[in-house]
Amino acid sequence: MSPEIFFQIIVNGLFTGGIYSLVAVGLTLIYGVMVIVNFAHGEFLMLGIYVAFWAWTLMDLDPYVAIPIAFALIFGLGALIQRGLVQRVLDAHPLNQIILLVGVSTLLIGLVQFFFSAEPKAIHVSYETAVISAFGLRFAIARLVAFFASMAISLLLFIFLRYTRTGKAIRAVSQSRDAARLMGINVNFIYYLTFGIGAAITAVAGVLLAPNHRMIPTMGQGYSVIAFVVVVLGTMGNFIGAFIGGLIIGVVEAFAGFYLGGDVKIIASMMIFILILLFRPAGLFGRKST
Amino acid sequence: MTTEIPTTSSRGPIRNWFRGVLLDWDRTQMLICFTLVGLLALAPLFISSTYYLGIIILATIYAFIGISWNIVAGFTGQLLIAQIIFLAIGAYTTIVLFNYYLISPWVGILIAGLVAGLCGIIVAFITLRYGLKVDYFALFTIALMVALRTLFLKWDYVGGAVGMWFSLTDPSLDKMIFATKAPYLYIALGLVVIGLLIQYAIYRSKMGKYFLAIREDDDAASALGVNTARYKMLAVVIGAAMAGIGGGFYVMYVTFIEPPQVFNLGLNIELVMAGPIIGGLGSLAGPLVGALLNKPFVEIMRGALAEGRSGNSLIVYGSFLILTIMFMPRGVTGVLHVIYLKIIRRFTNNPEGDN
Amino acid sequence: MALLEANEITKRFGGLVAVGNLSLSVDKGQILGLIGPNGAGKTTAFNMISGFYKADEGEIIFDGEDITGLRPDQICKLGLTRTFQVVKPFPHLSVLDNVMVGAYNRTNDSNESKQKAKEIIDFLGMQKMEGMTAGSLSVAHRKRLEVAKALATDPKIILLDEAMAGLRPTETDEMIELVRQISCQGIALLLVEHVMRVIMSLAERIVVIHHGEKIAEGTPQQICQDKAVIDAYLGEVEIDVTG
Repeated sequence: MSPEIFFQIIVNGLFTGGIYSLVAVGLTLIYGVMVIVNFAHGEFLMLGIYVAFWAWTLMDLDPYVAIPIAFALIFGLGALIQRGLVQRVLDAHPLNQIILLVGVSTLLIGLVQFFFSAEPKAIHVSYETAVISAFGLRFAIARLVAFFASMAISLLLFIFLRYTRTGKAIRAVSQSRDAARLMGINVNFIYYLTFGIGAAITAVAGVLLAPNHRMIPTMGQGYSVIAFVVVVLGTMGNFIGAFIGGLIIGVVEAFAGFYLGGDVKIIASMMIFILILLFRPAGLFGRKST
Repeated sequence: MTTEIPTTSSRGPIRNWFRGVLLDWDRTQMLICFTLVGLLALAPLFISSTYYLGIIILATIYAFIGISWNIVAGFTGQLLIAQIIFLAIGAYTTIVLFNYYLISPWVGILIAGLVAGLCGIIVAFITLRYGLKVDYFALFTIALMVALRTLFLKWDYVGGAVGMWFSLTDPSLDKMIFATKAPYLYIALGLVVIGLLIQYAIYRSKMGKYFLAIREDDDAASALGVNTARYKMLAVVIGAAMAGIGGGFYVMYVTFIEPPQVFNLGLNIELVMAGPIIGGLGSLAGPLVGALLNKPFVEIMRGALAEGRSGNSLIVYGSFLILTIMFMPRGVTGVLHVIYLKIIRRFTNNPEGDN
Repeated sequence: MALLEANEITKRFGGLVAVGNLSLSVDKGQILGLIGPNGAGKTTAFNMISGFYKADEGEIIFDGEDITGLRPDQICKLGLTRTFQVVKPFPHLSVLDNVMVGAYNRTNDSNESKQKAKEIIDFLGMQKMEGMTAGSLSVAHRKRLEVAKALATDPKIILLDEAMAGLRPTETDEMIELVRQISCQGIALLLVEHVMRVIMSLAERIVVIHHGEKIAEGTPQQICQDKAVIDAYLGEVEIDVTG
């Protein structure tokens, strides 16, 4: 393998991994605060890309302009789902929580399929195939933007959680629901907020895919599975773990795709997933539990 | 579970037996189930439409698969979401044995159960040996399903992406090929009866109590001498073997299989999960009652609302699952149980009630 | 010979020593109290002895057998079981079924198990609740059910983890009486208790731990006068005596 190809694979992997990171950060945030595995997570990415499609067909909006629209809409939807549904099963058997979220996922896919049909859709923009060449490597513009935007959003979220009052409240709730309540934090509000943010940034990841990705209503399921792999790899509930895990999985997939072919690359992620579950279930960033 | 009743010798033995059944909710559930099975068995006498008979047959198969999942998820509370893996393995085993080795489906289906059971052992071993937490188990099975789909798509021996057709020949009993729908229905009903009996036998035995104890509280069960890993594995293996057998018969009936069709979360929800959840997960009658409500209703929705739009059935299923969890987490059987208790309390002066 | 013997068992979490070199022994039919301030490591010690945690160091001998590293269910089969501080009923099962799960420890036969469970339910005076689901019981009855389940496994020793915490005084008295009756049947008991009144009236010997280490051992009278114990408990005793 020539160094050019090697580095090109790494670049491609990181670009894909950036999106994975963003999706996984949303999932891990929700898990960290509510200790619930969001089985409908990939559907928010799918909704995001369809919001971009809808804005593009209806109002001829550039996908990047649709980012705030998608963020706002899906934030509202996420908060609503938390308030109306998830909130009421937080203390129920995990099986009930999962069935509920599988139900939400199925309903969302069904609704999108109903309104947009199951046929693949695509957005066409002037820069969809534009490429920059540098250092002997090729960078697709849309993917370059997606990568840096993912990084920026993750960083913003990190700063938000670390330095703002609300962010600190979210972290407090994730450490102890009861203690946070005693401190006067409105825990339920934090829950709505967290689910909303987790869903919204995932939707933004979907919008970022829009310029050069085809979309189908079931596309979210694949991303759900990848996001599970990433958060387990990077330790459930660990923000930085999810971020780095996403990049790792992206690169691994890129190499697997190179050697095994694009449609088999998911096997590589699954192997990592299974190995992590078996030998280090706490993930790369977790302490060994007793 | 059983409420002791004073046996009065003046009544006839049959009447006493009947009274005993009705005073015991578990046995009442079985009575409901067998009544339903009896009614279904009469269906070919009144329904000539192959379309409607087909729906009834599928609903019956769903009930059997539902029972297999109920034992794993309902009894032991294990989040084996992608139970459809075992159905797919059973289906592929049966069709491969028939197409390549001319082994009769009657035998093939049993081998399918065996193969699926073995796969169940592997899955259970991996997840339990390493003590995976409940939600990780769910993730693991979904990941496994995705990996298997990719693998089967590339595996030419089993038809790869093209899938496999069941080599149809002239109708014959030993090849399990029939000209009419009725024989399929009776085989499916036979499976359901066997499934119900197995489920009941487990439920009333030590194994069943241990399963339920594990679902309710793993640690507490362990402190009382329950080898939780062993019993969890047992449940997975029983469930997998049953799903494998069900899958074998399923493919005999639909005559075609391809990876995206069976390694599919949508079908998993429709075929495996919806019935028991709507009917009442963990109850004895849940899988059958749920399947009989689920399948026909969704078919009607498909027919009535199709008009070129897809996604209806997904909307219906999604809403079903959400509404059930929100408003009747113990399913239809749970609602029936409440009504039952009210009736029982009126007829016996037993204020504590049975269970 | 001692029925249960823990020799210098140690458990660390990360760098923190939760229990360090703890030794204790319980004779057949004896009641041993294990006390200590909050966070002293009592429950950790329980978890090690009953097999929920693996001891990092030391060995645990039960009835002449080394049980260090065995699983809880294996230990239960040998005749050592426990209750939980935060009670763990099987909430959707009936009281009878709850106790039957314990009774299956010694039999595979459902009728036999039911028979045994009913006897124990009678012994605890819970006949009326037999058909109720465990989740619908009051706190006091849940605590009793916890003991019933443990008794049903036919143990030689029961580890009771704060069986009286959260009970009203009259309920506590009933529970003390119950523990005495269990002891009369020749079953040994290891009690972790916060309510000093309970420990003082029940235990024949008491082990006191503080910061994971044993600071005193002796009869209740000796313990009451022990300087180290009084220091460790300073401020807590007043609160707990009323319990």
